[in-house]
Amino acid sequence: MALINLAAREINYKIVYYGCGLSGKTTNIQYIYRRVNPSARGRLVSIATEEERTLYFDFLPLSLGTVKGLRTRFHLYTVPGQSFYNASRKLVLQGVDGVVFVADSQVARLDENVDSYLNLWDNLMEHGEDPSNLGIVLQLNKRDLSSIFSVADLSDLLNHTESPVIEACALTGVGVFETLKTVCKQVIAKSSHL
Amino acid sequence: MAGRKGLVINDGQMQLIDGVLNKLQRVTGSNFVALVTTSGQPITTAPPHADADTLSLAALAAGSFAATRQLAQVLKEREFSLLFHEGRESNLHVMQVTEQILLLITFGRETQVGRVRLYTGRAVEVLKPVFEAAENTSGDEQIVDRDYSREAGTAIDAWFPGESDG
Ligand SMILES: Nc1nc2c(ncn2[C@@H]2O[C@H](COP(=O)(O)OP(=O)(O)O)[C@@H](O)[C@H]2O)c(=O)[nH]1
Ligand SMILES: [Mg+2]
Repeated sequence: MALINLAAREINYKIVYYGCGLSGKTTNIQYIYRRVNPSARGRLVSIATEEERTLYFDFLPLSLGTVKGLRTRFHLYTVPGQSFYNASRKLVLQGVDGVVFVADSQVARLDENVDSYLNLWDNLMEHGEDPSNLGIVLQLNKRDLSSIFSVADLSDLLNHTESPVIEACALTGVGVFETLKTVCKQVIAKSSHL
Repeated sequence: MAGRKGLVINDGQMQLIDGVLNKLQRVTGSNFVALVTTSGQPITTAPPHADADTLSLAALAAGSFAATRQLAQVLKEREFSLLFHEGRESNLHVMQVTEQILLLITFGRETQVGRVRLYTGRAVEVLKPVFEAAENTSGDEQIVDRDYSREAGTAIDAWFPGESDG
């Protein structure tokens, strides 16, 4: 849950972009970094390899400024998608407040999406997370491509929590802010109803 | 792994923590001491407001520490509780305080590593019970109330000036 530092009058929330390799998680974060009000953003940190763009994570802190006297920050992380990086996915999920599941809408990526979705829940359960405490958004990415599943089909498979579903094209930014805003507002709402 | 335990640090605890960090920084001649969570969030530093990059440092140190933990598992080592980075000009120590808290300390090549370890170990002994107490509180419901949610919502919308989506 959120880290609240009363002495420093500070709240930090953690949001994790999850999903299979190449679904567009890093693209989301990069778009946010480029377009968000510059005074709100910190440094974008990526630990990457040549083959895949993310090894451990991408990290972008976003500041909301002072809200009711509390400096409020959201820390955005992505996880590496490939299955052999599960150790680093688990660590990135530690202390998470909100999850954006970025699905690759392409028909050819069905198995990868489902595997990643099941892996997300395995890892959350291992952390002892109660999903009702988490903000969750399903982002259906790459809607610009032609061979893609319908929103209904993907929601059936990847949204057993009945969370908000947002269609996106992260490459051009469609749906990127909407996704971020939705998960941030959810996370705040959850932390106020504990 | 840390579950959904809360971490709420109050004024008294913070004073104590900052006192320990300042003293540690002094006696070790360290350039920089910080406490961060294992989930990558910064708590406090000595000197205060040391650097704008504290956020990156916290995220990276936590990542690095967690990777070390996995390494320990692979090597069937029960635990590595210390991570040590040696540089040309300076060294970085990362030590585990509690399940959720890490202590980072940087110091120059001229400082004896043994001295740093000794004092850091003592500091960890003092900090541990403070954080264990803070980890068991969940006093946030009074803080994050309806007004807070509303104001935060407005601020979130202002992140992206001139955007029509959302
Ligand atoms: N056509 C299309 N390509 C996308 C979209 N989002 C991301 N990509 C591309 O998909 C590839 C993988 O994206 P990346 O963000 O690195 O994936 P990650 O592994 O989830 O971080 C890159 O070549 C992106 O340019 C999208 O909405 N539409
Ligand atoms: Mg990536």
